[in-house]
Amino acid sequence: MKYRILAFVLGTAALAAPALAQNSPLPLPPPVEKELAARASNVTEVTLGKNMLAFAAKFMNGKDKDEAGVRQLIEGLEGIYVREYTFDKEGQYSIEEIDNLRKYFETSEWSPLVREREKKNSESTDVMVKLVNGESHGMFILTAEPKELTIVLILGPIRMDQLGELKGIGGLGALGGVGKGAKIKTKKGGAE
Amino acid sequence: MKRLWILPVFFLALLVPVAVLAGSAVGFEGVVRSVESRYHVHATHIPFLGLASFIAGRATHGGVANLHIAEFENFSEAVDGEELNHMVQEKLGSGWERIIRETSRQGGEQTLIYMHPEGNRMGLFVVSLDGHELNVIEVSVDPDHLNESVGHYRHHHDNDDESD
Repeated sequence: MKYRILAFVLGTAALAAPALAQNSPLPLPPPVEKELAARASNVTEVTLGKNMLAFAAKFMNGKDKDEAGVRQLIEGLEGIYVREYTFDKEGQYSIEEIDNLRKYFETSEWSPLVREREKKNSESTDVMVKLVNGESHGMFILTAEPKELTIVLILGPIRMDQLGELKGIGGLGALGGVGKGAKIKTKKGGAE
Repeated sequence: MKRLWILPVFFLALLVPVAVLAGSAVGFEGVVRSVESRYHVHATHIPFLGLASFIAGRATHGGVANLHIAEFENFSEAVDGEELNHMVQEKLGSGWERIIRETSRQGGEQTLIYMHPEGNRMGLFVVSLDGHELNVIEVSVDPDHLNESVGHYRHHHDNDDESD
């Protein structure tokens, strides 16, 4: 039992190392979060602010090539926020709610990067990027499945080629694909 | 006989500070006492935890320190995730920031992880409920020293893999 607890402590420390937060609430309309959380059977929240991310960067080994990349990426970030809602049955959230979330980021600063709709499975994915002087300074990912809703918001300067490195952080697994997708897209754009 | 009234007064005089102290405890103790009081449970005493904390500190060259663990077994009360969250946040105070929260509506699974920068160290506070077992853990971690220790073991592990 004691070994289990110690393993749990060390495991949690290792898991939480890249995931540290400060006073930086998710910049979404609070009622949306509350309403979704009230209906969800399971809710996972990851809230990582700038100060905690900077501190977490100390955990990354600068000599290790992979960790050095993550360190460089998270040191410059202002926040990482993940909200994952799992529902018991379908129809626990409405299309209007999803649209409201999307509209929140439909400003001149945010540009759509990926828009995927699968009518057959009632699944959708939206990836939006915040562009400042032509450079990405934020990313919003909204993945909606019939029984699951995932919101990821990353604020701060982002290098797309390094984004996949964050996939190890809980709830950010999809970023591995986003980073690669963005690369492909850039190449295609360049060819056109 | 007349002076017997003094006994209950003494009793009350002793009881009030104890009750006030119990209610005002903060940090790890505060959370543990609040859980005991709210859910009518008692933390299981873990023998030699102080020694384990000392050894962990020595083994990691100060990478891990200030280890506190409270274990609640046979936890049967229904847990409202929101209530537990507020209770822990209140007892920990503003210096601690919640970074991860996982909660199930049925209440059987709750995880709260808080962080607290302490100069070059980092405080880590975990509350984890899984079925009928709830654990409250606090530990202080030095990233630099922990990295060295982890790197040392990783190096050995890699060497072992190569020799296989």
